[in-house]
Amino acid sequence: MAHHHHVTSADIAMAGDHLDASKVSKVKSIALGIAVIGTLASIYLLFFAPVKIRAPFAYSWLFAFYFFLTLSIGGCFWTLLHNVSNSGWGTSVRRTFENLGSTYPWMFLFGLPLLCPEVQQYLYEWMNIHRGATGNVKDFLNHEASLLYHKYWFMNLPFWYARVIFWGVGLSVVIYGLRKLSTDQDTDPNPGTARLFKARFHSTYTLIIFALTITFTGFDFMMALDYKWFSTMWGVYLFAGSALNSMAVIILVCTWLKGQGHLKHVTGAEHFHLMGKLMLAFTIFWAYVTFSQFFLIWYSNQPEETSYFLIRNTGNWNTAMITLVFGHFVVPFVVLLQAWLKKNPKALSVVAVYTLCMHALDHYLITIPERGISLGGEHMSQGAAFAGLGPIQVSIPGAFWGDIFAFVTIGAAFLFFLLRALGQHSLYPNRDPRILESANVSN
Amino acid sequence: MSTTRQRVYGYLAEFTSASALYKAAEKVRDAGFKQWDCYSPYPIHGLDTAMGIKRSILPWFVFCGGMTGTATAFTLAYATQVVIFPTVVQGKPANIFTIPAFFPIMFELTVLFSGFTVLFGLLSLIRLPRLNHPLFASSQFQRATDDGFFIAIEARDGNFSTTGTRELLAAIGGSNIELVAEEDGIKS
Repeated sequence: MAHHHHVTSADIAMAGDHLDASKVSKVKSIALGIAVIGTLASIYLLFFAPVKIRAPFAYSWLFAFYFFLTLSIGGCFWTLLHNVSNSGWGTSVRRTFENLGSTYPWMFLFGLPLLCPEVQQYLYEWMNIHRGATGNVKDFLNHEASLLYHKYWFMNLPFWYARVIFWGVGLSVVIYGLRKLSTDQDTDPNPGTARLFKARFHSTYTLIIFALTITFTGFDFMMALDYKWFSTMWGVYLFAGSALNSMAVIILVCTWLKGQGHLKHVTGAEHFHLMGKLMLAFTIFWAYVTFSQFFLIWYSNQPEETSYFLIRNTGNWNTAMITLVFGHFVVPFVVLLQAWLKKNPKALSVVAVYTLCMHALDHYLITIPERGISLGGEHMSQGAAFAGLGPIQVSIPGAFWGDIFAFVTIGAAFLFFLLRALGQHSLYPNRDPRILESANVSN
Repeated sequence: MSTTRQRVYGYLAEFTSASALYKAAEKVRDAGFKQWDCYSPYPIHGLDTAMGIKRSILPWFVFCGGMTGTATAFTLAYATQVVIFPTVVQGKPANIFTIPAFFPIMFELTVLFSGFTVLFGLLSLIRLPRLNHPLFASSQFQRATDDGFFIAIEARDGNFSTTGTRELLAAIGGSNIELVAEEDGIKS
């Protein structure tokens, strides 16, 4: 219980609470090694391998890239939300939000292959049609692809590239600035409240950049896999998964740091209880949004909308989708209702790991079922790039190994950049004017 | 001449602040009292821990109430639209796979039944509404809704004693200690 000891400024680490570099150097080196070797191998697999490997691997890469990007984006979200809502409860864990968010620029770099036409040709049919246009692109589309003609104002190559560059740069600048503002305070001999108000002010309008980034990276990278399909719930759906699972990562990091003897006095059962409550809230929110998306499409039965669920309710994908209903909502919902569990960091961490597994399944089902549909089919007559990919099939045999390979590669990079960020500064903002309020929080 | 018989309710003591009340509550808890309560003009975070109050059983009632709501909605929708009068809407099947169509009402009734269980469960657990409370006999107790912080230890508690309890309350910082008695309504 939080009230055994009232935390005073005597309990706060004067020079900050720093991670012992030697403790993590081994894990960091291994993660970096896997990431570097995996990335080099992936460059071969994406650009130079035979078509039969190269084409399915583009989907593997997209899946892994976007999965880890949602976790980084979520770190930015919690930082922004904590600042803008003038919160005091989470000051002792806010640095972990910032550290997770600070992996965003690095994780976005793993999206660079998706900017190359050699990779895009297997993912985004609309780009192939645009690139194959003869004469004036708009006139061509007007005659050959009416839907793309009407979507031209949004789905055109220059605007797509401009947007993607903005998603990469915009949120990177935001999280870099906010983290710097926060970490500068750690060593300021006269820390006042100026940075607090500055962070609050700048988190207002930059929250819009966050909202646009989570929504439209989802549109530009994921929804565009099938240019005919659209859902206005898409951005909210991806946001729900992002906020939920980045909180799961934050809980895991905090539990680990506590286990290493860090965050002493400032983070306790009350903080884990609050973070667990946020996980419960976003478990419900995810289910609400995901069901709403399904329900509206299922009920209205419009052919251009139902394709998404028809693909995912075919064959074994259906089993996976039903698993998602129970595994991503029913089970964690009932488990997270219990207060004792949320106050226990180890028990909550078990749920956090489980939730992340479900998030992986969720994103696998967002990306991968498109693969067999998009790559197969002799009718596509797209030339040598598609030769020998065979007929349309529910899933491509053996492509699963590529998914695991990409996931491990980008996952290792994510771990490396997260550990690197944790080691750069104090693990909690020790000179923040709200640190004592946060340390003594009770709910 | 008639006299009104009085029944002793217990000791009432005033404390100077929320913090003093909190610390006093811990001592009353540690002295082993069960039939007692704290009174404050506003909620005090963590006072339940200081008083040693066990977690309420209400969440379990609410869970059961909510599940009853889910089951009621499902039964109602399934019975009427699948069993009694199979209704085909937009080519949707009239069997268990129509269940997504029932989800909104299942959700709504879960919330409604949970809400009712919270309200009525809470009222019955705290025994409200009631017409009177014995402490209303004390004129200083009116300040519990304004600026007074009080602890009342009831006479029916096994550890209660006329001198010992008064001494305890005085020792933990209580002032204006008063033995509150209620009229039992029987005239003799």
